[in-house]
Amino acid sequence: MATPLWELVNICKAFPGVRANDGISIRLNAGEIHALLGENGCGKSTLIKILSGVHSPDTGEIRLNGRPITLGSPIDARSKGVATVFQEFSLAPTLTVAENIFLGRYPRRGPLVDWAKMRSEAARVLTSLEIAIDPARLVGSLSVAEQQLVEIAKAISVDATLLILDEPTTALGEHEIAVLHRLLRRMKNRGVAVLYISHRLDEVVELVDTATILKEGRVASTADATRLDIPSIVTAMIGASVEEHYPKVRNATDEVLIAVSNLRSARGARGASFSVRKGEVFGLGGVIGSGRTEIARALFGADPASGDIRIEGRPVRIRNPRDAIAAGLALVPENRKFDGLFFNFHGGPNITSAALGAIRRLFLLDKRGERRITSDFIQDLEISPAAAHKCVNLLSGGNQQKIVIARWLFAGSRVLILDEPTQGIDIGAKIAVYRLVNELTARGCAVILISSDHSELIAMSDRIGIVRNGAVVETLPASQVTHAHLVQASASADGAATAA
Amino acid sequence: MTHHSALRRLAGQEFFGPLLALLIITLIVTVTTPSFLDPQNFRNIALQVSILSIVAIGSTIVIITGGIDLSPGSMIAFLTMCLAVFIKNQGLDLAPAIALTLLIGCALGIVNGVLVAYVGIPAFIVTLAGLSAFKGLALTLNGGTPAFSLSEQLGQVFYGTFLGLPLPFFYVVGGYLLFTIIMEHTRLGREIYAVGGNESAARLSGINVARVRLIAFSFAGACAAFGAVLLSARLNSGSPNYGANIELQAIAAAVVGGASLAGGRGRVMSTLIGSLIIVVVQNGLNLNAVTTSMQSLTIGLIILIAVGLDVWRARIGRGLARLIGTNTRRQGA
Ligand SMILES: Nc1ncnc2c1ncn2[C@@H]1O[C@H](COP(=O)(O)OP(=O)(O)OP(=O)(O)O)[C@@H](O)[C@H]1O
Ligand SMILES: [Mg+2]
Repeated sequence: MATPLWELVNICKAFPGVRANDGISIRLNAGEIHALLGENGCGKSTLIKILSGVHSPDTGEIRLNGRPITLGSPIDARSKGVATVFQEFSLAPTLTVAENIFLGRYPRRGPLVDWAKMRSEAARVLTSLEIAIDPARLVGSLSVAEQQLVEIAKAISVDATLLILDEPTTALGEHEIAVLHRLLRRMKNRGVAVLYISHRLDEVVELVDTATILKEGRVASTADATRLDIPSIVTAMIGASVEEHYPKVRNATDEVLIAVSNLRSARGARGASFSVRKGEVFGLGGVIGSGRTEIARALFGADPASGDIRIEGRPVRIRNPRDAIAAGLALVPENRKFDGLFFNFHGGPNITSAALGAIRRLFLLDKRGERRITSDFIQDLEISPAAAHKCVNLLSGGNQQKIVIARWLFAGSRVLILDEPTQGIDIGAKIAVYRLVNELTARGCAVILISSDHSELIAMSDRIGIVRNGAVVETLPASQVTHAHLVQASASADGAATAA
Repeated sequence: MTHHSALRRLAGQEFFGPLLALLIITLIVTVTTPSFLDPQNFRNIALQVSILSIVAIGSTIVIITGGIDLSPGSMIAFLTMCLAVFIKNQGLDLAPAIALTLLIGCALGIVNGVLVAYVGIPAFIVTLAGLSAFKGLALTLNGGTPAFSLSEQLGQVFYGTFLGLPLPFFYVVGGYLLFTIIMEHTRLGREIYAVGGNESAARLSGINVARVRLIAFSFAGACAAFGAVLLSARLNSGSPNYGANIELQAIAAAVVGGASLAGGRGRVMSTLIGSLIIVVVQNGLNLNAVTTSMQSLTIGLIILIAVGLDVWRARIGRGLARLIGTNTRRQGA
C-alpha cells in the first residue's frame, strides 16, 4: 500500500472520566475526501484537535509522508500544512472579516501590516466561496451562517496539504452546502487531503470518497470496510439498523392553538402571519437570511416586536421572553452555545432554569427533586448520565440539545419553536428529537419547526410556510412540498435579493 | 479505594485549592513568626477578618453576576459618618441610628444597581464613580472631619460577647450561612448564577436579568453598611478615611476564594477562606514590621497568583487526579 500523506497511528487521548480516543488509526491520502463519522461524543472532535495541534495525544503517532511528526500547537500544525475549521467557532467578533481570515498572519510590507493586500486577498477567498460578505464588516455583526462561512474561508486561505472541517455545514442552507462541496472537490483535485465531519449523512455520501466510522473512541469501521450508503453507515455508527429515519406521527387537529398576524421586528420580521393548530408541526422553510430565526425571536419576545398574537383565540401581550413563557411558548434557539446553555451549570440546573418556580418548596429550591427530575429526563430522552454531574460544556452536542429541549418539556410549554433543533446532532439523537416532537404533538402542543434540512422539514412538518424577506409568502401541506419546490422558493428569493 | 475516592471528592471541591493555600500560608507564618500564635494576635485576626469577610460577601455576589463593585470602601466612609451624625448631631438612639445607616447602605447599593441594570452603564464605571462620589458625600458631613466618642454602648455591638464568644463571630457565621442559603438554595441564588453564566440564555429562560443585577448590588450595599456599623463600633467613631481600599481587599478575597471575574462561578463560603488568606498574610507582614507599601504590593501579588492559579486550575486538577491515581473509566458520552 502506498504511504498516505497524513497518517494517525494508534492515537489514545483520555479526559477525566472518558477515553475520548482509544487506539484510533486512520490514513488520509492526497486528493481524497475522507469522512469521519460517528455518534455525538464518540471522539471525532478530539481526534481532529490532536491532528490540529490543540491537544497532544497521550500515546500514538502522527505521520506526515510516513515520518513521525509532532504538532506542538495550532500554529505549529498550521505551519506544517494543517488547516482546520473547528466545530466551535474561533472567530474574534470585534475584528473585521478580513482580519479574522488572516488572524495571526497578517500580510506585511516591511514592519507594517499591508491592509490593502489583506482586503484584496480576503475578497478573493470570499469570492472563491461565492460569499457576498464585505471583508470590512465586523464578524460580530454577521449571522451564524455567515460566521460559519468566514470560518471556512479562514481555513481555505491557508496553503494546506490537509484541510479538516468539523461540522462545517450545521448552520448552512442547501445552497451554501452545494457551493462548499464544489470548492472541496476543487481542492481535492489540487491534491489536498480533506477530512470531513458531518451529521448530515445525505450530504456526506454525496461528497466523500471514503469514510471512517468511530464508536466510543474506537474505530468501528475502517475506510476500506465502510460502504458509502446511509443504511450501512448508520448500522456501523449505532450498532443497529434504523428502518425509519423520520418516524412522523400525524397528530394535527382542526383547533387553532396559536394565531400570529402581522408580526414585525426591527431585526427582520416583516409582517409574518400564520397559525398553528393543536398537535400540528408547522414548518418554516426558506433560505439562509430569509428571516425565519427573526420571526421566531420576535414571537418569543426576544427582540422588540409588534403584531397580534392569539392563543386559543385570546390575545396575549408578549413584551419579553418572560411573557412568552407565561403564555406557554418555548424557544429552542438556533445557537445553543450562546443563547441556550449555562456552561457553569450541570445538566439539572440547565433543565430547570425556565421553571424554577416548579422546584421551589416554600423559599428553598428542592434540590433532591431537581436531581430526580434530571435523572428522569436523562432516562426518558436518553441523555448521557454524565449530564447529572458534569458541566454541560463537557457534553456532546446531541446531549446539549436534548437538555435544552428538556428545559421546555419541564416548563410545560404548549407552543414550541424549534430553531434548527437537529443541528450538529447524530442520527440517533435526531430520531430521538423527532420522537419528542411526536410526543409533544400527541399531547396537543403546537410545534413551529425551522430547519435548513429540506428532507427533515418536509418529513416532519404537517404544513410548511415558505418564508421570504421576513414574511410567510405561501403555506402548503407538507406532502405537496418537494425539494424542487423549496429550491425554487430559494432561487426566487435569491433573485429577489439580488434584484433589491 | 474508599479513601482515594473521598480524597478525590475533596480535591474536586471548589474550596479545596483556597483551603490548601490558607493552610500552607498559615504554616509558613507560624514557622517564621512565633508571635503569630499569641492568643491576643488570634483575637486581632478574628476581629479584622470579621469586617472584611462580611463586606466581601457582597463583592462576591456582584462578581458572580458578572459585575464588579469598586464602591464599598467609600460607601463605608460615608456610612460611618452617617452613623456618627445620627448619634452625635441628631441625638438618635443607637438602634434607630444603626437601622437608618443600614437602610442608607441598601439605598446606595440600589442606586448602583439601577444605574447598571436599568440605565445600562457598565458596573466598573458606575462603581468607580461611586468610589469617588461616596467619598465626596462623606466629606460633606460634619464639616468633613472625623467624629469620635460616639456612644458608650456602641462598642458593645463589636466587642460584646454572647455565650462567651465575641459577637463578630456570630455576625460572620450568620452572614455566611444566610448568604450561602440564598445563593445555593433559593431561586434568587440560582438566577444570580444563571445571569453570570450566560446572560442571553438567562433572558431566554424568562429570568428578569435587570432585577437580578439590581438585587445583587443591593446585597452589596447591605453588606458594606453592616461592615460600616462594625467598623464604627470597633473604633467608636466615624471618619471619611475609614474603609479605604477595603473594596480591593474584598475583591481579592472573592477572587482568591475562586470566584471568576467572568461571572457564573464562585462560592460565598470560599470567600471566607479568601478573606482569611488576605488577613493572615497582612497580619504576618505586620508582625514582621513590613511597611504598608510592601503590604499593598504583597496583596497585589496574591491576587495575581490567585487568578493565575484559576487559569491553571484545570491542569493542576488533572495533575492532582493523576497523582492520586484516578483511573479514567470509559463512560458513555
Ligand atoms: N476538554 C475536555 N475535557 C473533558 N472531556 C472532554 C473534553 N473534550 C471532550 N471531552 C469528552 O470526550 C468525549 C469525546 O468528545 P468529542 O468532542 O471528541 O466528541 P464528538 O465525536 O466530536 O461529538 P459531536 O458529534 O457531538 O461533536 C466526550 O465524552 C466529551 O464529553
Ligand atoms: Mg465534535
